[in-house]
Amino acid sequence: MAEATEPEQTPRELTMSRAMVEAIATEMRDDEEVFVMGEDVADYGGIFDSTEGLLEEFGHDRVMDVPISETSFVGAGVGAAQAGMRPIVELMFADFFGVCMDQIYNQMAKNTYMSGGAVNVPMVLMTAVGGGYNDAAQHSQTLYGTFAHLPGMKMVVPSTARDAKGLMHAAVRDDDPVVYMFHKRLMGIGWMPAPDGPKRAVPEEPYTVPFGEADVKREGSDVTVVTLGLHVHRALDAAASLVDDGIDAEVIDLRTLVPLDAETVLESVRKTGHLVVVDEDYRSFGVTGEIVASVAESDLDALEAVERVALPDVPIPYARPLEDEVLPDADDIEAAVETVVE
Amino acid sequence: MPHSTELEEMYGDMVTARHYEERLQEEYLEGKQPKFDISAGPIPGELHLAAGHEPAAVGVCQHLDDDDTVTAPHRPHHVAIAKGVDLKRMTAEIFGREAGLSGGKGGHMHLFDPDVNFACSGIIAEGCPPAVGAAMAADKRNTDAVAVSYLGEGALEQGGFLESLNLASVRDLPVVFVVEDNDWAISMPKERVTDVADGSRRADGFDMPGERVDHNDPVAVYEAAERAVGRARAGNGPSLIEVQVHRRMGHFMGDAQGYRPDEEIERLDRLDPIPRTEERLRAEGITDDRIETLRELATDRVEEAIEWAKEQPKPAPGAAHDDVFVDSPAGPAAAETGGDD
Amino acid sequence: MTGDRVAVDTAAVWPDDADEEGGYVANWFVREGATVEAGDVLCEIQVEKVSIDVTAPVDGELVEVTLPDDAEFRRGDPLGYLRPTAGSGR
Repeated sequence: MAEATEPEQTPRELTMSRAMVEAIATEMRDDEEVFVMGEDVADYGGIFDSTEGLLEEFGHDRVMDVPISETSFVGAGVGAAQAGMRPIVELMFADFFGVCMDQIYNQMAKNTYMSGGAVNVPMVLMTAVGGGYNDAAQHSQTLYGTFAHLPGMKMVVPSTARDAKGLMHAAVRDDDPVVYMFHKRLMGIGWMPAPDGPKRAVPEEPYTVPFGEADVKREGSDVTVVTLGLHVHRALDAAASLVDDGIDAEVIDLRTLVPLDAETVLESVRKTGHLVVVDEDYRSFGVTGEIVASVAESDLDALEAVERVALPDVPIPYARPLEDEVLPDADDIEAAVETVVE
Repeated sequence: MPHSTELEEMYGDMVTARHYEERLQEEYLEGKQPKFDISAGPIPGELHLAAGHEPAAVGVCQHLDDDDTVTAPHRPHHVAIAKGVDLKRMTAEIFGREAGLSGGKGGHMHLFDPDVNFACSGIIAEGCPPAVGAAMAADKRNTDAVAVSYLGEGALEQGGFLESLNLASVRDLPVVFVVEDNDWAISMPKERVTDVADGSRRADGFDMPGERVDHNDPVAVYEAAERAVGRARAGNGPSLIEVQVHRRMGHFMGDAQGYRPDEEIERLDRLDPIPRTEERLRAEGITDDRIETLRELATDRVEEAIEWAKEQPKPAPGAAHDDVFVDSPAGPAAAETGGDD
Repeated sequence: MTGDRVAVDTAAVWPDDADEEGGYVANWFVREGATVEAGDVLCEIQVEKVSIDVTAPVDGELVEVTLPDDAEFRRGDPLGYLRPTAGSGR
């Protein structure tokens, strides 16, 4: 299916959660093999609204609440996928990966390779990431690096409703395992207000956002800001404010980490010479380092200056002043941009 | 059967815990009405309150000393109160203050009070293995300390729980697993996630004693715990107790409970363990005046803790970089990480 | 002219068991000037932590949003106004 063009006049806007649900519902209508399972995905509709309304249309057989047994139900997703179905499995918080990581990285991610391509695992592992609401160290992580590091899983991170829908269609149709990380703060949940930005005009018809294509969310000539998820919006805020300082920032939304669109990043850095990489994950051994390395490896001469903005290597603290201290915000991005442009 | 002083202590902890949760709810909702923004107000983040769970806390902890270890799950306040956790510092932690148990780093799901060997974790069933470890330490050191691990009935389907039962059993370790069955794992009723209605039967598979307390009564819990803790202390291995409790509030304070029948919430009002415990106190000859005094003491204690907590300063932002290690790695890399924000 | 406009009413969707008399607007899904059909979801409001979808009472054009995203309101306050399409039966 061709990618839809951005409609000029769509009367309807959707929150990110509703856009995801619309894609899942369409895929479930089109293909009996698609089903959803996870904790509180049926009657509750997903703690972060990621499955809201699906139970009413599809019933408990295809929208399955499961016991708090992540090893068992994530692994069951792997098995059902290998049997040819297309399960969408929700891990309520990415932080809970710890109780089921074997099924994720030793089974889901490796079975294709270990079988020499004889089996494949067309499942979507959908999971919530992100802090910023004082949920502390065990419920706030944005573990992009942890998952992207492990070979065998594709990995997508939407920042807008429009991308969320297209990435979900692509994820369900993909013949490989796809980890779909959505930031809680972007979903448009009543009790966790989203920033302006993720709610977008969303085409009614199905469309895909292809994997491995970063999106330039703002064009600029002075500095390249590479980011994803919630921090796309933080970076856009910073870019708007930097205009007053006469700095024209380009904001690149990676959208997918695996595959990674290093080319779009490189082209932009060749234009601007300055690179700031931003994410909400821990600083060391993660996305920020990877992006910087990929640019340096490909064209070291294009880089005049570089900064990383990420969580320092500390678990996420609870109290508001402590969490604010470690979570990168628009001001931190602005400061990093000013440092590299100077 | 607990003697009347013990009964009074248990009742005192129950009303302390209940008043605490009701007051925290009020404080939590401040700045969150009519717009419920989970990150707003004096207590941000998730808040899991335990009103209706009190008997499971007081009936077991009545048998414990400071040397005994307790691990609790994401809904910990009533257990912490019964275990004797410093109420003021716990409250300061929940309000995210510098004087909190963890200096504001942990929050309400991550309370640690080593003075009374209390800890909790927000990951379902993951308090079980550390409780087994505390019991292992007691066993190796030949002390008579025991460990108690609290968990909800939804946690019984988790590997960490089942593996812990087996390890505790095969090593004959002094652990008591206490299951608080409030019928709901967030929105999932028990019958949808297990065919085993009586969670204490899980013990059978590990050749360990299991007992279910079918009514939310502190005395019945006390008696079951007397047997289980006694076995553990005497070196006779682990036990499992399941207690029927009631979740009188939502799973967390943002939970509108649309999945839950109103009649059930009304039914729980009639089954409230606190007035039922008062009847028991009266039956033991404790006067209404004395009951009123116990209630007032509890209320005053809670009010004092909340007032004190709110007066405490917030942590300095830079404190976020401390405590990753007790022995911080030296060198330029560490300095750079520590100084970066 | 208010006469031919139809209010998008908060009282009509108020939950039966709500004790609160106030709520807030979580999300609008259409903008002023958009044409909608009766039953289309216009916006989502929240009352006592319960999210409620508010649908268009008639076919028509959303001519005014009186309570934007994040606005607080009392029961019965209109969220906005639709101008019914001619012949939509209203």
